[in-house]
Amino acid sequence: MSTALAALPATTRKPRATVPPMVAFALCWIAAMLAVAATVQWIAPYSYTALDLRARLHPPVFMGGDWRHILGTDELGRDVLARLLYSIRLSLLIAFGATLIGAALGTLLGFLAAHLRGLVEQVVLALADFQASMPFLILALSVLAFFGTSLTLLICLLGLHGWERYARISRGLAISAGAQGYAAAVRQLGASPWRVYGRHVLPNIASTLIVSMTLAFPEIILLESGLSFLGLGVQPPETSLGNMVGYAREYLTRAPWILLSPAMVIVMTTLSVSMLGDWLRDKLDPTLR
Amino acid sequence: MLRFLTIRLLRAALTIVLVVTFAFIVLRMSGDPALLIMSADAPPEAIAAFRKSWGLDAPLWVQYVNYFGAILHGDLGQSMRDGRGAVELVAERIPATLALTIPALVLKIGLGIPAGIFAALHRNSFIDRAVMFAAVAGFTVPSFVLGLLLVLVFAVQLGWLPSGGQESWRHAILPIVTLGAGGAAVLARFTRSAMLEVLGQSYIRTASAKGVPWMSVVRNHALPNAAIPTVTIVGFMVGSLLAGAVVVESVFSWPGVGRLLVVAVANRDLAVVQCILLVVAVTMVTANIVVDLLYGFLDPRLRAGVKA
Repeated sequence: MSTALAALPATTRKPRATVPPMVAFALCWIAAMLAVAATVQWIAPYSYTALDLRARLHPPVFMGGDWRHILGTDELGRDVLARLLYSIRLSLLIAFGATLIGAALGTLLGFLAAHLRGLVEQVVLALADFQASMPFLILALSVLAFFGTSLTLLICLLGLHGWERYARISRGLAISAGAQGYAAAVRQLGASPWRVYGRHVLPNIASTLIVSMTLAFPEIILLESGLSFLGLGVQPPETSLGNMVGYAREYLTRAPWILLSPAMVIVMTTLSVSMLGDWLRDKLDPTLR
Repeated sequence: MLRFLTIRLLRAALTIVLVVTFAFIVLRMSGDPALLIMSADAPPEAIAAFRKSWGLDAPLWVQYVNYFGAILHGDLGQSMRDGRGAVELVAERIPATLALTIPALVLKIGLGIPAGIFAALHRNSFIDRAVMFAAVAGFTVPSFVLGLLLVLVFAVQLGWLPSGGQESWRHAILPIVTLGAGGAAVLARFTRSAMLEVLGQSYIRTASAKGVPWMSVVRNHALPNAAIPTVTIVGFMVGSLLAGAVVVESVFSWPGVGRLLVVAVANRDLAVVQCILLVVAVTMVTANIVVDLLYGFLDPRLRAGVKA
């Protein structure tokens, strides 16, 4: 039975395991996306708002276009490649911001629940239950209905996605860390709670939290692109990947290329980060499986 | 059992109260609805009259109590745009949404669970890898991309199926496939990892060691134990029957609850948004209770109300 093999102790592994080719590819893709996001203002062929009204709905090179607009242009003659590169930056920025907010908020609440116990813990757990039992898209849409859309609000709102998972994980791990002796020892030495949790418990549970972040990141990209697709996320003239797909829908029959490139970037990016996350989880944290 | 049920119902009620409070707080924090609906240069008397007719001139806690009372009487307000009852507006959209989500759910369960079980039983085989790759792809391709690609191929290029609208059953095929494919992928992934978890347990080894045929081990020992996490995710899918098609309905211009929600959000039609929020919350909570009761049925250890 193959499951018996998996149960063998880790010492039988090769000392330096190689990175599987799929994961290596995922890492390359993520690196490329980060490079694009960092250097977009230098590498983009045009500004994302620059109009070329004489070349509206111009096809890309591989569909009979020319090299002036490699990926073609949209209904206003804006260069699809330039918009794509700027969209990558904004979508990644939102996803990074939201993931960090979610992780920080969730971990803090989890530690608070583990440290204070009692009523605080019950409130945190009840809120986590509430969050987990409602479809996030519906909550997000209701908040957007009431407040309208702005970039800051969008990042904060997406930051609320998944906080409950970090809260549950960090609470559970902090409680068990408290029973493991090292935390108790530091506390006995007179360390403040900030020091105990920040310098001792957090580094010990960091790998689990990082894995959760890699797993949450693609979900946030999908949520952002979904909201932007519905016209309720990133607002024009700013452009994000979902927003591009949303507008491309109007020109599906006449100009399918506007749809294809942002769609491919969304899929490749979420796929890469998910594969990286799965691989990290198997490597770093067998308990999460 | 009775105690367990009581606690469960209380927690369900608490969730609903939280949702209502959430809606109320967000509603009141979002600024003056009177100024949002009427233009800022409307005469002050008109604004005052609007406030009075919507009960916005009372103190906050009175508004909260009134709000709760109205909800208990089934009064969720009128659409601020066309004056029709919010409940009525939402209710007439529900059949259209269910016409998509119920067949999609059947597709998810029928495709996802067998694929997950099969992949787990043949771990690391070619088929396992293929199923897992399909599952990861199904999870990472957003529904609007999948939907639009299907439209591009089957409606635009081949011309076999319509691209949007709700005239006949043929219009429902692409949205159902779009919804079902993503969900089946998620379910296959969950089922596979639940099965792998169970197959690694010592009672499976014991059952095999005492000579029980492998198929009986799987049927009698592995499947019932792996059912518990799978039921949780299926329960979530049942709970989101009304809310799960927001994006897909928009892709295919399908006049369901999700489409109504998106339009209401864009128009800031608060009564309709709240009504949908509440209906979704009640469906979700009901599905969760049913799942909890199913746990008791599936896992005798939980039947006495003892948490494992």
